[in-house]
Parts: sequence; C-alpha cells; structure tokens
Amino acid sequence: MSGTGISTTRLLAVLFREEWRLHTQLFGGWRFALFPVVIAVLAVSATVALLETGTAQGTIVGGLHALAVGFGLYSGTAGFAGSDMLENVFGRLSLLLSSSTTLPLSRRRLLGVFLLKDALFYGVAFVLPMALASAALTGLSAATPVVVGLFWLSLCLVFAAGMATTVALIAVRTRGVPPWAIGLVIGLTVVGTWATGSLGVVQSVLVPVRGSAIAAGGLAVGTVVIATVSLTAYDPTYGRPSRTATDRFARLSGALPFENAPLVTKSLLDLARSSGGVWKPFVSASILLALVAALVGVVDSITGIAPAPGIFFGGVLGLSAFTTYNWLTQFDSLEAYLAYPVSIADVFRAKRIAFIFVGAPTVAVPYLAAVVWFEATLLDAVVGAILLAGYALYYYGLTVYIAGFDPNEFLFDAVRFATFTVGVAVALVPTLVAGFVVVPPSIELAAAFSVGGVVMGVIGVVLSSRAGPRWERRYRRE
Amino acid sequence: MGAIRVDGLRKSYGAVEAVAGMNFTVERGELYGFLGPNGAGKTTTIRTLTGQIHPDAGTVRVLETDPATEPLETRQKVGILPEQGSPPSFLTPREYLEFVGEVRDLSADRVADQTAAWAERLGFESKLETLHTDLSRGQQQKVMITQAFIHEPDVVFIDEPLANLDPLVQEQVKRFLVSYAAGDNAVFVSTHNIDVAEEICSRVGIVADGQLVTERSLEGDRDDSLLDLFLERVDGAAQRDVPNLGLTDRTET
Repeated sequence: MSGTGISTTRLLAVLFREEWRLHTQLFGGWRFALFPVVIAVLAVSATVALLETGTAQGTIVGGLHALAVGFGLYSGTAGFAGSDMLENVFGRLSLLLSSSTTLPLSRRRLLGVFLLKDALFYGVAFVLPMALASAALTGLSAATPVVVGLFWLSLCLVFAAGMATTVALIAVRTRGVPPWAIGLVIGLTVVGTWATGSLGVVQSVLVPVRGSAIAAGGLAVGTVVIATVSLTAYDPTYGRPSRTATDRFARLSGALPFENAPLVTKSLLDLARSSGGVWKPFVSASILLALVAALVGVVDSITGIAPAPGIFFGGVLGLSAFTTYNWLTQFDSLEAYLAYPVSIADVFRAKRIAFIFVGAPTVAVPYLAAVVWFEATLLDAVVGAILLAGYALYYYGLTVYIAGFDPNEFLFDAVRFATFTVGVAVALVPTLVAGFVVVPPSIELAAAFSVGGVVMGVIGVVLSSRAGPRWERRYRRE
Repeated sequence: MGAIRVDGLRKSYGAVEAVAGMNFTVERGELYGFLGPNGAGKTTTIRTLTGQIHPDAGTVRVLETDPATEPLETRQKVGILPEQGSPPSFLTPREYLEFVGEVRDLSADRVADQTAAWAERLGFESKLETLHTDLSRGQQQKVMITQAFIHEPDVVFIDEPLANLDPLVQEQVKRFLVSYAAGDNAVFVSTHNIDVAEEICSRVGIVADGQLVTERSLEGDRDDSLLDLFLERVDGAAQRDVPNLGLTDRTET
C-alpha cells in the first residue's frame, strides 16, 4: 500500500512538528531557537574578520559554499533514518519515520517527505543564517535583501546537492553494492576530476551565485533528478544477514594494561564492527583535511600567501577530536552502564583511552600527508605535531566537558555550541593567524607554540578528567 | 534485617513527584512483585535502589549497603535487568558476558561456565557468536537475563522479566526465578503482568502515584484475585489516570 490516507502536506507538517519537538525537548525552546542567531553571528563576524585580514571575497564565498556542501552531505545521512543501517552507523533512534513498519505508509514515500522536511528545516535554520554573511561581503544597502536572498538560494542549491549525493550513495548501498566499491568510485571520481584539471568547472558549478544561470539550472535539475532516481532505487526491504564474530574481547581486554580495560575494549570493538568500522573517524579527518587543503590552495592562488603547513594543519586537524569522540559514543548511553558496578567517571576515563587509541592514527596520517604535500620545514612539522596532539586533547576535553556523552547535540543547542565555539576559537584563531603571518616559523614562535600546545593538552586532560564527576552528578541528581 | 529496606523514599523530577514516600522491606527468600500502572514510580524506585539515581529523601539499604552513597558497592552485590535492555552493541553474547564478567571481577572460567549453562537453559547456544545488535529482541532479553544472574547475586532487580520471550522460555524463566528466590536470595520483580506476579511471587506491593498503596502475601489460599485487588487499590484514588474498564466489569458482575 502507498498510504493515501494522509496527504503529503499533512505528513510534512507532522514531521516538522516532530523535528521541532525533538530539539526543544532536548535543549529547551529558547536554546534551540537561539541557534540560528549564533550561526548568523558566527558567519557575519567571521566574514568581517576575514575581510579585515585581507581575504579575498571569492575565497569567503567559496568557503561558505564548501561548508554548505559539507553540511548537505552530512544531512543526507538522514537517509539512513529508521533503518537497521542507521543503527549500525549512528546508534538507536526513535523517529516517526519508523512508523512505516506499523502503518500503511510507503517507506519510500515517508523517507522522501522526511528528507524534504530536513532540507527545508535546515535550509531555514542553518543555511539562511549562513547567507547573512553576504550582507557583510557587499555592505548594507537597499539591495541587501535581494543579495542575501540570492546568496541563500545559491547555498541552498549546493546544500541540496550534497544531501542528494549522500542519499544516492545510501540508495546504491541498499541495492547491495558493497561499501568498498562505493568508496572506490568516489575515490576515482575525485582523482579523475583533479587529474583532468576539471576542478575549476566543479568550483564554478558548486558556487552558483558566481557562475552562470545555466550551470545553476543544471545543478538544480541534476539535484532533483538524482534525488528522484535515488528514492526510486532505494530498497526499503534491504537488510543485511546476521553477522557473527569470533571472540576477541577477552584477548584484547587482557592485552590492555588499564584498569578500565573491559570498558575500553567494548568501545573499540563497537566502533570497529559498526558499519564503516575504524575507517569512519579517518574519513572524517580526511574530509576535514581535504576541505582545509582546498581552501589553503585557493587562498594561495589568489593572494600568494601560504601558511606554515605544520602549525596550520596541526591546529586545524586537532578539530577531528570532535568527530572521533562522536563516533566513539554513537553506540553507548551512559544509562546503560548504570546496570554494572562501574562509575560514570570510569566510563569517561575509558572513552579517553579509546579516543587516544583511535584518534592518534586518525590525525597522524592526514597530518603527515599535509606536511609532506605542502613541504613543511622540519621545525614547523615538529611544532605542528605538538600542536596537533595538544589541541586534539584540548578539543576532546572541551567536547566531553560540555556535551558529555552526546556531542552531536552541540548542533542544536545554542549555549553549548557557542561555548564550544569560543573554546575552540581561543586556541585556533591565534594559531591560524600566526601560521599565516610568520612563515616559516621562527625559533621563538616555535617555542611559544610548543609550550602552548602542551598547556592546551594539559587543560584538555583536566577538562576530560572533570567531565566524569560532573556528568555523574547530573545523571544521579537528574 | 531485610535484604532490601526502603523508608520514606522520595524522588522528584522537577515538579513531578515520581516517588512520594515509599516504605517497604523485602526479605531473603522472597520473590517480591512490584506492581503498578505506567508512571506509578516503579522504575524510579528500582533506579534508586540500585544507585543509578540519588533520592531526594528517605533511607534505602540493599544488602547492608546504601545505594545513595555507595552505588558501586550496591551494584557489585546485586543483579540488574533494566527495562530498556541494552543499547545496540557490536559485541557477541559471549563477548558481552565476558565484558560483564570483567567489570564484576569474575574469573574467566566462571564466566565461561555460566555462559554455557545459561545459553543452554534459555536456548541461545547457536547465537553466542552473533553480534548482539543483530539478535532478535527475545534473544537480546535472554542475554540480558543472563548478565543479571551471571555473578549469582543475593539480590536481583528485574524490570519486566518476560518481555519478548516465547512461552517456552517464559516458563523456564518463571521456574528459575521461583527456585532462585527459594535459595535464600531476594528477587525484586517490577511488572505490569498481574497474572505472572500472581503465579510466581510470594508477596506483592502495589504502587500508585509514587506510593505503596498495599502489600499482600500470595502464599496460601486466598479468596480474592490479585487483579481485583490491583484494580481496587489503583483505581480507588480520585483523578488517577488509569483505565476504568476493569472496574466497570467488576461492578456489573
């Protein structure tokens, strides 16, 4: 049955209400309602700051569109929602989308409306505040509303294209195509684009506001076609057979010389056996590297200024601590541990050890690639490595302290997001500025940053150590 | 001294008073049924008794420990089968039980023996190497029952013990619970299933609006049914949000 008893408009309205309730229940209405304001303030202030420091307008416009594409790619993962695939990747969720299993509603139709809802919701709540940056780019005038409106449409277009791309990949996966084949095609496409010198074409298509109307129209039509074909191809009955595994727990736990070895082992095995496995954090860090490297390349080509790669990438790649920790907490809830004789502080300590195990190689490889590719000096590379380790620990501690076991909820809580952003900016902004200004780094700057990296690392360890008691109090007092 | 002793327990969530002055004692050798409608305060009581949340007032003792101040000591001594089950986990049942054994400081041999015994008892031997997340809910419940008893605790807290189990396994679990309590242990069962409580429990406490409204021994011959008692006590209070279908039927008869 296709489920003709409820109109699409009504279904859309119900799903909107669920989305709103989800966020307002989690954080309280005003904290969620403030979130677009925080995005707008960040977008506008960052744009003003970049303009003041001599960054070209084209670079800022390109950066904002890159962010919108990235956010669209991420938002498209909603295509997993309600399926076993979602639980395998992100853990358990309970959404109205799952009602297709109990009601005469076509899952394909429900998913389509769900994704449309997401596109509209995020288009207004996230992309529109980002578009206000265009007002800072052009200055206020009578034409500002039109400028912002056009910029918003441009960002929405690439955001939707990103979403459609992810949904298409999920649809392909539901047809039984193995993940390695999908990864291979993506890799070949990226390499092919680069090798054939087509990056410029891609850039012009993905920045519609600066490209031709034909390119923008083509992108819009292409997005609609891909979304439609993806939903048609999406197999709602897809389900993988039961998986088995040999007993690795006892051996791994026995090999770890930590008091909380069983908790660490559980985290590591959960991550390794979920869809995408231990590659997920690595892919997240690589995407970050690719985005930043592309921006560095654009800046270099326009202004002729290139940063000290060690310091620059060491500071930025530390941010992958957030995504790595996010992956490590996807399959857990603190409440579940309360059935055992372990404290919440123990659980957090175990997560920190697991984070170091997973996070160190996750950032080391992209960092080494960056310093080799951008030909960092030895001093710069060493200082960058210290910064990377220290900042990663700091960002990790900041995340754990502010968000506990639910780092994803940052995305919708204005207060937490603003606190996290300020905490990151305190460390990152001076680093990036110095990384651009003093190239290659002097001995004095290198020494200062080395000390700074160690200090931030210590702060991170202190923050993550205090997170356990802090969240234990919260959970037990409720 | 009872295995579980609760005196004046109170717990609120904001303006909502989930437990409003609870008093009861459970002795060793008892299979105590904790009955009540949704939202009566059953799960909050269990979470308080197992040190998962801190009470606002009152004293609680479980096997001579204070769950409010010694939550780990309490949880080390008791077994807990939570209502929610476990989150999706990518460990196999064998690995998961090894995990539980390690956090409970059990020897590997003992865990292996218990795992084999429970897998045979509940019929999940063929699933020991399957990822927990890929098991059916019933199979997951069997694994969770096993983890609650794997250390042979003196006191066990169970929230809906028979959820998702097939009738054959339900019978086995019911018989096991009765025999386990008879072995000088205390089994505290929170359930909505009055028939099951009537069948296996030696004593029940009926809870409504965060308070224990009555207790009744189920040993020996009784004139009234537990269902009648439940409906009378739970539906007796004014403005309580419970179905009145049972009362209507009773009035008509």
